Amino acid sequence: MTLTIATSLDEVLSAMANGARPIAGGTDLVVGARQGKVTLPADLVAIDRVTELATVATNDGTIRIGAGVTHADLLTNDIVVRQLTSIADAAALVGSPATRNVGTIGGNVMNGSPAMDTGAPLMVLGANAALTTPSGTREVALADLWTGPGQTSANADELCTALVLPQPPQSSGSAYVRLEYRRAMEIAVVGAAAAVTLDGDSISSVKVALTAVAPTIIEVDGLNSLVGSPANDKAFEAIAEAARQQARPISDLRASERYRRHTIGVMARRAAHAASVRASGQTIEVPVNRAFGIGENPENIR
Amino acid sequence: MFPCTADATATLACTMKTFVRADGPDKVTGSGRYVADLTLTGMLHAKFLYAGVAHGQIDRLDVEAARAIPGVLAVMTTDDVPDHRYSPVIPDRTLFAKNIVRFEGEILAAVAATTPEIAAQALAAIDVAITELPVVNDIEAALADDAPLVHEDWESYDVTGDTIRDRNVATFSAIEKGDIDAALAGAAHVVTSRYVADASHATPIEPRGIVAQWEGDKVTIWTSTQVPYDARDGVCETLGLPANRVRIIVPHLGGGFGGKCGFHFEAHIAALARATKRPVKLVFSREEEFLAPDRRREGMIVDITTGLSADGDIVARKAWVGIDNGAYVADAAFFPQLAAMHVGGPYKIPAVKIDAQLIYTNRQPSGSVRAPTAPQACWAVETHTDELAAAAGLDPVEFRRRNLVRTGDEGIAGQIYDEIGLDQCLDLAVSAMGSPDLPSDEAIGVAIGWWPSFAGPAGAYAKMHGDGTVQVITGAQECGTGAVMTLRDIAADELGVGVEDVQLVYQDTGAAPVGPGATGSQTLLNHGRAVESATQQIAEQLRELAANELEAAASDIVLGDGVASVAGTPAVSVPIADLAATAAGGDLLLGSASAPMPEWPSVSARCVGDQEMASWLAPQFSCHVVRVQLDADTGVARVLDVQAAHDSGTILNPIGATGQIEGGVMMGIGQALSEITQYDEAGKQRNPGLLEYKLQTIADAPTISTQFVEIFTPNAGPRGSKGLAEAPNVATAAAISNALAKLTGGPIRQLPMTPERVWEHLDARRGSDATEVST
Ligand SMILES: Cc1cc2nc3c(=O)[nH]c(=O)nc-3n(C[C@H](O)[C@H](O)[C@H](O)COP(=O)(O)OP(=O)(O)OC[C@H]3O[C@@H](n4cnc5c(N)ncnc54)[C@H](O)[C@@H]3O)c2cc1C
Repeated sequence: MTLTIATSLDEVLSAMANGARPIAGGTDLVVGARQGKVTLPADLVAIDRVTELATVATNDGTIRIGAGVTHADLLTNDIVVRQLTSIADAAALVGSPATRNVGTIGGNVMNGSPAMDTGAPLMVLGANAALTTPSGTREVALADLWTGPGQTSANADELCTALVLPQPPQSSGSAYVRLEYRRAMEIAVVGAAAAVTLDGDSISSVKVALTAVAPTIIEVDGLNSLVGSPANDKAFEAIAEAARQQARPISDLRASERYRRHTIGVMARRAAHAASVRASGQTIEVPVNRAFGIGENPENIR
Repeated sequence: MFPCTADATATLACTMKTFVRADGPDKVTGSGRYVADLTLTGMLHAKFLYAGVAHGQIDRLDVEAARAIPGVLAVMTTDDVPDHRYSPVIPDRTLFAKNIVRFEGEILAAVAATTPEIAAQALAAIDVAITELPVVNDIEAALADDAPLVHEDWESYDVTGDTIRDRNVATFSAIEKGDIDAALAGAAHVVTSRYVADASHATPIEPRGIVAQWEGDKVTIWTSTQVPYDARDGVCETLGLPANRVRIIVPHLGGGFGGKCGFHFEAHIAALARATKRPVKLVFSREEEFLAPDRRREGMIVDITTGLSADGDIVARKAWVGIDNGAYVADAAFFPQLAAMHVGGPYKIPAVKIDAQLIYTNRQPSGSVRAPTAPQACWAVETHTDELAAAAGLDPVEFRRRNLVRTGDEGIAGQIYDEIGLDQCLDLAVSAMGSPDLPSDEAIGVAIGWWPSFAGPAGAYAKMHGDGTVQVITGAQECGTGAVMTLRDIAADELGVGVEDVQLVYQDTGAAPVGPGATGSQTLLNHGRAVESATQQIAEQLRELAANELEAAASDIVLGDGVASVAGTPAVSVPIADLAATAAGGDLLLGSASAPMPEWPSVSARCVGDQEMASWLAPQFSCHVVRVQLDADTGVARVLDVQAAHDSGTILNPIGATGQIEGGVMMGIGQALSEITQYDEAGKQRNPGLLEYKLQTIADAPTISTQFVEIFTPNAGPRGSKGLAEAPNVATAAAISNALAKLTGGPIRQLPMTPERVWEHLDARRGSDATEVST
């Protein structure tokens, strides 16, 4: 067993070329190993000290979120909170302060859980994962990255260096909402993210993605028909209906299939509602889950 | 709230407004040692092999290959310990499974090896074959005519007391009073309801640990138990040892909530240590802490029928209570009678017939978890009470005022109550909540609860050293409540010295006289009286010494602020330390006492299968009023505000007492909304871990306000106190249920009232299927 504590990207990539697995916060990897879900890889390379992975930067219409950015940083980062608000909504819900202080967005994405919280926001915001080896970097759409529960299409020697997103247009907003039984240390029973762009009062684009209702995060199809319609309860209900239709939930000890199918509609509706409110220039504090209180309280919108 | 009057009972509470916990710095700085922190030279690591099936016949259990692994020093099975059945009341338990396994966490074998990894390897090398038997998975399955028996040989067990049994019914108790049939027939309204509560867990933060070391024919066992003497007695009984050769020491204990009451695994580890001639250590994983101990909060079914007069007086109550005992009785033999008391409730009811059964199933054994049977039974009966109020056309608070027991009234078992403050609790908590304007997604729910005080034998030693400092040696066990820490204040108060001058020696059966342990809210109630008496003996000696010194009568000497002075003439005084120095030269300052036993009140109802739970010494009362918000789209509920009022007699330590109420309320919220132990069809737990077993977190905490109705209660704890720590865990879930019923159009009837259950309930009420999808 070896543990390489890398301080540069090159070190990480060469360790990985030699078969090491990256470990960022370890909040999935180590916890999973201790629970006996997976065995800890023989060779690990710690990437949490690689500062080049831990920045958020804008450049020429794109935003790059370094894979090593922690949830705690995401939820206070100005670019994320202002422009990619749904990611901040999601990061704010992850685990507890301790989890958020070490857990990273790269780890969240590459762990590939269908219950990951940053996944649906990243998807509706059109993120690609930048996967790097010593010979170069390729960008993969998230829909192609996640292939099943805990599975990605990345090769073992590919490091996710960043999540790369187009800068959202004017008059757009996004939101992530999660069903939670308690207010900390929770895991998504279902969740939904929405990104909405408005043209006046009507929708000029809408995307919705769903958490924990299929083997991977999925994007809701067929919402283009809403383009041009007003962003109102009727549109949100149509989104909820599409989410219920397209969800493929299972029954497990957290919830039944029936309850998940119902609540995914509620989450999709709320996410779309909150995203539209934000797109219209009003503020809903991060995270929407807390700002709405419980239920969907419009008094908390200003 | 705590008037510092001349009343002798108020003085301790007043001095204790600033309560310094002697164990606080250790715990918050991390320097405190728990069992898992202990390491002894040459120490081995133990692991258990569990049945893994809920019911089965052991066909083969071959440990030879495991014994042959280098580094494995012992592998034990039932063949390696005395053939003995144990447990109080119904001895149905053996240390290791013998022929039959009756729940998944039953121990087949124990291993001691040089490392935990080798111990795990040894477990894997044990060759086991078990033929699975039909699983008795719940209360109703156990009562079916053709149900398999969990204990085929139940009739052969050597039970004690008035213990009524029948096949899968481990114990039966009933409380009967008046002519129930006539009373029901004459009632103006009759309401019948069924409530079903799932099992849950105590979930202490520290999974248990044990270290055992033999020196010659004596064994010292460091263990995270709430009840050191029960642990000692269990080791003595199962391994055939005299009491003075087993010493139990508890380092800091990381909580218990009842989960660490009873005798569990100390004998296994002592036996391994004896066989290997080495110290042996066991530390549980979180999963083991969920699966293996004989301590789960029992599932329960409650069927209640209540008759009312036209005016809304309760005239009759008939009920059946079924309690899921699990595979072994542990300490649960008394559960039916206690549950029956709670299903009766703190009400005046002239005609009562409550039958209660403790029922064997192939699940983890149930045992006393904080206020056993009470939260579920209170939830059932108090939800039912709101239904009764509706039937009578009365406001729920008004209905309770009309029917609850007051000073001098007769309770359901026919006990006449001395001065009690239930009515005041109700008034205080209800008026503290007030009647705010509520949005449509919020409601207020009210419930009342009660709980006995338990007296038991407990002793204390006290000594004052030559420098005037004090050592109190107590058998009390600190499980985190601060109750043991409060003993210092009692000693300081009796002796007139500073709290910092009193040190405790505790949690060591080799040093201290016996005590019940941290169980049944007994610590301060019993040990407090013992410490009071032991230190009073020294105070007497000090007064004699001071009387000589100051040329005054001993009865005129007052002890306080480190000096002995003459009453009314404080200038005539001598430092207590000087008196102690004098005594150190001859007649030493020593005290020892066992707490005098209070007298139990008499009951007049017919108690069938009496397990001594119908006569309640110094009963405690409470009222919890909660404000709840509901997300009707998802069924997620949130408790926003809790007003609690408690009659637990004199409050000795206001800070500690308030902490107990707040913790009890939080635990009650968990029971109400999220804590559920789920089982699969094969009788195995589906969620033995903290990710899927949903405790409440601090982020979920509502505002909680506490008021105490302080009634000096003679014939109970020190200075007019009663018990305290379990009472706050009784009424919260019931109050939440009543708030939710208002928001959802009727009671949920299943505990916990999880979001999915609440939503299903709403959905059924809406009469339409909102989730119908056309595919
Ligand atoms: C108590 C607790 C609560 C939690 N709550 C939540 C929650 O609410 N929501 C949620 O979504 N998650 C939650 N999680 C899961 C976890 O914290 C998150 O998924 C977190 O973002 C993982 O990041 P990490 O840096 O710790 O990943 P690690 O554990 O370090 O890595 C996870 C996986 O990703 C791989 N990996 C990491 N970084 C890279 C990279 N840059 N390139 C390629 N592969 C990489 C690792 O090899 C490993 O396979 C919780 C975990 C715990 C322990």
